[in-house]
Amino acid sequence: MNFGLILSTAFMMWKGLSVMSDSPSPIVVVLSGSMEPAFQRGDLLMLWNRNLFSETNVGEIVVYNVKGKDIPIVHRVVRKFGTGPDAKLLTKGDNNAADDTELYARGQDYLNRKDIIGSVVGYMPFVGYVTIMLSEHPWLKTVMLGIMGLVVVLQRE
Amino acid sequence: MYSSVVRLQNAFSFFTTVAFVVAALIASTDLLAPRTPGVGVLKTTNVQVVRGRPHYYSSKKEEYAIIKFSLDADLSSLFNWNTKQLFVYVTAEWPSAGGSSGSGQNASNQAVIWDSIITSPSADHLANLGPVAMKKLKRSAQGKSIDPSRGRLSIKNQRPKYQITHPSGKVAEQDDVVLRLHYNVQPWVGFLTWNQDADVWRWKTLRNNLSKKFTLPSIKKKDETKKAAK
Repeated sequence: MNFGLILSTAFMMWKGLSVMSDSPSPIVVVLSGSMEPAFQRGDLLMLWNRNLFSETNVGEIVVYNVKGKDIPIVHRVVRKFGTGPDAKLLTKGDNNAADDTELYARGQDYLNRKDIIGSVVGYMPFVGYVTIMLSEHPWLKTVMLGIMGLVVVLQRE
Repeated sequence: MYSSVVRLQNAFSFFTTVAFVVAALIASTDLLAPRTPGVGVLKTTNVQVVRGRPHYYSSKKEEYAIIKFSLDADLSSLFNWNTKQLFVYVTAEWPSAGGSSGSGQNASNQAVIWDSIITSPSADHLANLGPVAMKKLKRSAQGKSIDPSRGRLSIKNQRPKYQITHPSGKVAEQDDVVLRLHYNVQPWVGFLTWNQDADVWRWKTLRNNLSKKFTLPSIKKKDETKKAAK
């Protein structure tokens, strides 16, 4: 009962944040070192996907998805041509020598606003490392589930 | 009720609460620190347009602008104990052929021509540098965890890091181009901030961060074989 409550609270908070920021994934974990030294692997980023005062501009750090690839990429916008939803955006990781043209889908030279799932506004170091550990060492997942199960079984109310 | 599992849970939840409160307090101290960045000089020193290819195996020819510039700026007030790095960048901006808004937040063409990461001494170990440069960087701020003097930039006749073009491949003889200096403060924890358009309490805008309007010249020479590294 208690356990279910915690899970549903967490889920609702996530969805609430998602509605507030208009982003399908309002919090992301950094998976690569391409934005070092600003972001390391495992850092937690808060995203905002509304253009209340101005458009997504050059210099903003955005998270985008490329067609056909599941992994969201966190990079900085370095060029913008045109305005509005059709503006052409080019991104680059601060720690990379070259821009992201190579990372985009075949035949795609620029991103559009709709490819972006949010701009980074908040930063919390290291907290997301748990998720990296869990995905890189699957046995940890089993262990954690086991411990949780044990706690649920042993807990007396 | 008072089993060790419950105690463990309580200890863990107390730990996370304290950690988040401390992080929030640290992040909020940013607001108290005044920010008074200023720009002394931002001007172009040499502007060229050359023809080149986007990459070695491309047969497409495009025009690339190579804008050399000088910059004198004092961004030292942006460094405090929660500053991890300062990302400084210079953009070139120009209006579209249609002749809309011009330079501004929504200038229709904007491209970074130069950027620089200035780490705070507390983040030096994270910088992507070779061993010699790293040693030099660390020695430059030995014993200091904050070094505002790194925010004083004085750059003369700097080559651009990025040669820029336009999706149409044409940039030569473009009028009304300006350079603009921007910064982005990356905190250790909290909110990322950029140069703002208006004063907000103790944070002042970055004044004088625009260069004079200039015109990109026509293509330099026919046999100019400088490869623009995109």
